[in-house]
Amino acid sequence: MKKNLSSLTLVFWVALIAFFAWDWAVSKPVNIRLEPPLIAAGSGQAPTGGHCASTF
Amino acid sequence: MTRLPLAAVFAAFFLALAWFVSLRQAVLFLVGIGMGGVLAGARFGFTTGWRRLIEQRDPSGVMAQLVLLAIAAAVCMPLLAEYPTDLSAALGPPSFSLLIGAFVFGATMQIADGCGSGTLYKAGMGVPLNMAILPVFAIGSFMGSAHLEQWLKLGAVAPVSLVQEFGAGEAFGLTLLGLVVFGLAARLWAGKGASWFNRRLLIGAILLAALAMLNLLVAGQPWGVVYGFGLWAAKLATAAGVFDPTANAFWSQSVNLNNLSQSVFLDVTSITNIGILAGALLVAAGQAAAQRKPLTSQQWLVGIIAGFLLGYSSRLAFGCNIGAMVSGISTGSLHGWIWVPLAFCGSLIGVRIRRHYAF
Repeated sequence: MKKNLSSLTLVFWVALIAFFAWDWAVSKPVNIRLEPPLIAAGSGQAPTGGHCASTF
Repeated sequence: MTRLPLAAVFAAFFLALAWFVSLRQAVLFLVGIGMGGVLAGARFGFTTGWRRLIEQRDPSGVMAQLVLLAIAAAVCMPLLAEYPTDLSAALGPPSFSLLIGAFVFGATMQIADGCGSGTLYKAGMGVPLNMAILPVFAIGSFMGSAHLEQWLKLGAVAPVSLVQEFGAGEAFGLTLLGLVVFGLAARLWAGKGASWFNRRLLIGAILLAALAMLNLLVAGQPWGVVYGFGLWAAKLATAAGVFDPTANAFWSQSVNLNNLSQSVFLDVTSITNIGILAGALLVAAGQAAAQRKPLTSQQWLVGIIAGFLLGYSSRLAFGCNIGAMVSGISTGSLHGWIWVPLAFCGSLIGVRIRRHYAF
């Protein structure tokens, strides 16, 4: 063990994983039939994600 | 903790993403791990680079950032011109909101010792203040986006894309010219004795530019950080019944409503953020535990308030050092060029506040 896990580190990661687990459970199921192409460039599909620079 | 078990966990998560979500998101998780690994491994801090220039007249961190911007712009601008419908730039509107947001962000990132990416990778490495800041950063980012409509009413013009206005070649030429001016200004500020470059930071800059380019190619949008934070807090606020996204100008947009209803694993920014945390944790796992002086109650309080303002202002500024500066400038958005001087002026104040509270 090169590094001891501090209690704050443990709380941080447990909280983060709990959030992601909760989110997966309550969100609508992923429709893998709508999976986007692996590479967006050249796919012919416009990007649909949110970004920090976007307004409305 | 050793790296091997962690690497196994992340490999399993990669496979789960590929199987249950999409191969694209799994690849973006790997891109995020790379970003986190480089940021933590090279200790590539945007905040620290600026602070070292201001306080120690050391331009090497800022020079590395300029190299990162130049390389990313050289690759991203032609890509945007080649695939104008498949790829999008980080275009934010020049506005009063941007001026205020960038200034406050520049100040608070010095107090909190981390911008968007800095807070992420330091939280991943187990730095106590940055771990504590992450949730309040998310709340701030969410509230900033929720209030964005009111801030934009102060005055804004449409986003300006240098690539669309001038074409990729001229846009890159203008960008390079601007970066040279920034570089000379930094050199002038630092004086003659200082060395220009730091090898570790330069390697970090080149690797980060490559990863930013990969992010754009794969995701179709530039690297971002703070949108993901805001989304996480917005989901919790909506689930708790304290926020109605359909009544809000920003969150009622179809893209944002859709992101609120689906897993964060489908959100580009969230998945690279998770990757950055994971990459930084991997780097930290192989290092000896750092000895840090415990913070006083006052330092904790000031740091947490700064973290909230960091998140709030990042949305007013249409991005942090990554979304507005790296992605904005490298994809030819005018707002990135407005962001940098305002954030630097904020940092001039921020380093003094940081000194006052003896961080």
